Amino acid sequence: MKLSTYLSLGLVALVLGVLIVFQFRVTRHIEQGIPAGRAQELALELRQLEKDKSKLEAEANDLSLKLEQVTRGQTEAEKALKDELAKARLLAGLVPVTGPGIEVTLDNPPQQAGGRGPVSLYAIRDEDLLRVINELRGAGAEALSINGQRIVAHTEIRWAAPFINVNLTRVVPPYHILAIGKPDNLKSALEIPGGLVEYLQDLGVQVKIQPYDRLTIPGYSRTTEFHYAKPVVKG
Amino acid sequence: MWLGIWLAVAGLVLGVLLGLNIPLVLPQVYAKYLSVAALAALDSVFGGIRAAMEDQFDNTVFISGFFSNALLAAGLAFIGERLGIDLYLAAVVAFGVRLFQNLAIIRRHLFKKLK
Repeated sequence: MKLSTYLSLGLVALVLGVLIVFQFRVTRHIEQGIPAGRAQELALELRQLEKDKSKLEAEANDLSLKLEQVTRGQTEAEKALKDELAKARLLAGLVPVTGPGIEVTLDNPPQQAGGRGPVSLYAIRDEDLLRVINELRGAGAEALSINGQRIVAHTEIRWAAPFINVNLTRVVPPYHILAIGKPDNLKSALEIPGGLVEYLQDLGVQVKIQPYDRLTIPGYSRTTEFHYAKPVVKG
Repeated sequence: MWLGIWLAVAGLVLGVLLGLNIPLVLPQVYAKYLSVAALAALDSVFGGIRAAMEDQFDNTVFISGFFSNALLAAGLAFIGERLGIDLYLAAVVAFGVRLFQNLAIIRRHLFKKLK
């Protein structure tokens, strides 16, 4: 045999070896990996899902923004409602209040011991308290109480002999009337010549007026329910 | 003749080593073509051995047959893929049958020599 034959034989064997080994490796690679078609399919799916994901993310952002706005709106509305409620409770006299004002102390005429001297038969009546309250209101009192009973819109001051009922609660002398307002105004309204204080003192009632920089008036403590009165619906 | 066989074996071993050490991995799309080409090459080699046994070995025929068979098999697989027919099966069957035929003939020649 010639040299070229050997050469070609060697070359062919070489090429065959390379081919077989390549094929071997590729096949093993395929077994380990994923088939090409499947890979393409998966890549397509991945792209689609990524698109979907970005769309959904945008949607989520949008929704969370809206949610935030709504929440903010809700907080504001809640705050406004609470403010309104606090105002209404203040106006209705349901909450304790504090501020400058005066204390008016009324007491029955002293009963003289031993019966000497003129004995006053006068006792403070409901009308007297009502007039004091009325006068103080007229002078700009913002909150009033008699012996710890807050005077509200439906407070009665009623003679239920031998006591006076305020808010269905019995009050006894001495009567401490607290009023929040401008102390000077309140004081002068009672003390004007020919005014209430003079009138009461003429009757023998002991009147004492004490201005305060700061006093506290309790809130109306009973529950209020309307059984008959209903709000009128407009329209 | 024995020198030729040893040379072939040496070439095969060298080729295997070379193939193992090349860090190139063919894309999987070409795996099908490569497999058929390898089959065709194997057939050519067996054909060459048989020809050598019969003392009809022609180097040109051998070399050209080797490459043309491999290329034809790969091309057939490629065309089959494009046409949607598993045409590479034709190459597999043809070369497979020829492989067995060649092997049978080689076997007989070997027995004849041994007797």
